[in-house]
Amino acid sequence: MAIYELPEWTALGPALILAVTALALFAFDSISPRSTNRQLLAGTAVAGSLTSLGVAVWFTVAGVGTPTADGGNGVIDPTHGFVVDQLALYFMIIVAVVTALIVVASYDYLVDHAYQAEYYSLVILAATGMSLMAAADSLVTILIALELASLPSYALVAILKDNRGSVEAGLKYFLIGSLSSAIFIYGISLVYGATGHLELAAIAEVVSGETEAGSGHDITEMGGLLGLGILMLIGGFAFKTASVPFHFWAPEAYEGAPAPISAFLSSASKAAGFVVLFRVFTEAFPLGEIGAVIGFDWTVAFIVLAIVTMTLGNFAAATQDSVKRMLAYSSIGHAGYALIGLAGLTADGGELVMGAAMMHLLVYGFMNTGAFLFVALAEHWGVGRTFEDYNGLAAQAPVACAAMAVFMFSLAGIPPFGGFFSKYFLFVGALEAATASTAMLVVAAVLVINSALSLYYYSRLVKAIWIEDPPATRDRLAQPTGLYAAIIVAAVMTIVILPGFGPVVDAALDAAGAVVG
Amino acid sequence: MIGVEYYVLLSMAVFCIGLVGVLTRRNALTFLMSVELMLNAANINLIAFAFYHGNLTGQVFALFTMALAAAEVAVGLGIILVLYRNFRDVDVTVPTTMRW
Repeated sequence: MAIYELPEWTALGPALILAVTALALFAFDSISPRSTNRQLLAGTAVAGSLTSLGVAVWFTVAGVGTPTADGGNGVIDPTHGFVVDQLALYFMIIVAVVTALIVVASYDYLVDHAYQAEYYSLVILAATGMSLMAAADSLVTILIALELASLPSYALVAILKDNRGSVEAGLKYFLIGSLSSAIFIYGISLVYGATGHLELAAIAEVVSGETEAGSGHDITEMGGLLGLGILMLIGGFAFKTASVPFHFWAPEAYEGAPAPISAFLSSASKAAGFVVLFRVFTEAFPLGEIGAVIGFDWTVAFIVLAIVTMTLGNFAAATQDSVKRMLAYSSIGHAGYALIGLAGLTADGGELVMGAAMMHLLVYGFMNTGAFLFVALAEHWGVGRTFEDYNGLAAQAPVACAAMAVFMFSLAGIPPFGGFFSKYFLFVGALEAATASTAMLVVAAVLVINSALSLYYYSRLVKAIWIEDPPATRDRLAQPTGLYAAIIVAAVMTIVILPGFGPVVDAALDAAGAVVG
Repeated sequence: MIGVEYYVLLSMAVFCIGLVGVLTRRNALTFLMSVELMLNAANINLIAFAFYHGNLTGQVFALFTMALAAAEVAVGLGIILVLYRNFRDVDVTVPTTMRW
């Protein structure tokens, strides 16, 4: 037994710290509007996200949310509608890491920007929403956390008010976002109609027939309503994770947004979307029982979505001229890889494949953030957007370009880097699941084909940076401290995660075990 | 008493009207109104089902939905305002600086 025990609400600490930081930044902004005290603003945001990260790591190591022999530290239900277990903490760590990297990098990116305090407080507010998404355990809290993450993101994408690309990106992101959240809410209302509950555990009890729906009707009579509701929920999650069929916004929003925000959306926001997806589908609609009620297993939907998303993302990425747009499509492709985590689930197992998807999201948090931050650095230099514009950068900035090569090879899944291991585990997990359903063999094959294809466009960028000759007219390149620091930390983590992969595997499998089986 | 299925039919009709508006209208403000229709269709459902199931969860959730819709419109109008400043139009098909 612990000598003293923290009250239960502190289990939400990582998210609460972010919320307090965001409010502190807002308070500072109202006391001193238009302040350009960048050190203080960025410092507060960095301190807040690092504290959140520290607390989340501490809770994970201390075993919050894992049942122990003496009966302490079980799954914590701090307030109604939230649950803190290893899954929640694992994704809180991803969100906090990405937020910290983004905030450090933004320090240089925003040098002449007029709205410093607004920018940082919106970033931290969105991070709060993502962190809460990881812990949300009821469709109400899931929706509110999701909107708390989305609304600041719309504003952040459009924050360069005089830049046409940024405004256009913000508009498209907002239009598709509001449409998909309307569909999501309608889906929730149908699920509520069929079951009479909004808490995930209560929905699961009704679905499996342990308790009657609120009105006392038989759940199988409402199967059609529930099935339609589930499909609409998938639509809402597809938007958040940038998967087919709601992926249209991703290339536009990532290309037009300030590059650190593209990194934030494509890493943290995607991971937060996936944790809700994992939790809702494993907890509320248990496989095996759901098939009898709605007539199909939802894994079928995810097998199709995973194959289409992977293929579309990678093939579109291969045809791009703009580096940022290539990364945007590759981000769609990676959403497809992570969807395998749900496609491979079976009624009595699938921890390995879901854990692999979680590992991939963690590694992706480092390598993809780093890659977008390199684009931010290139925008800071003003070198241009296309592959040709990046020619020969290595001669002038070898350290950052070495880091970029690490990110590219890791994204492609080349052995010495973190991205290889998460993809390897995904492949093994998919093959293991293939014993239950042969469709997973197709998924595994598509995964391999797409990885091979992705090597083409990732190495094309590395070739441009390292092998092509630089144009004669390029000026000397500056070395902004914050951007460099964030890129190098991300690169080091992409490599270091390799010898440290054991604990990551354990953490991811624990997290998967929290909801599966 | 009116059966719950009629409320579902009504809400589905409202939802589809909103969806058609989203897909066919080019004015960003009309788009926002259409999304509001879709959200209110969900509210009709939630309240009808709360009555049907005899618990208050759905009604309270409908209140949350309205608050979220208001917040969403606030952000949306801000974005439409900067859209107008940059493109001198609120037609969503006008901004085409980026292509597939």
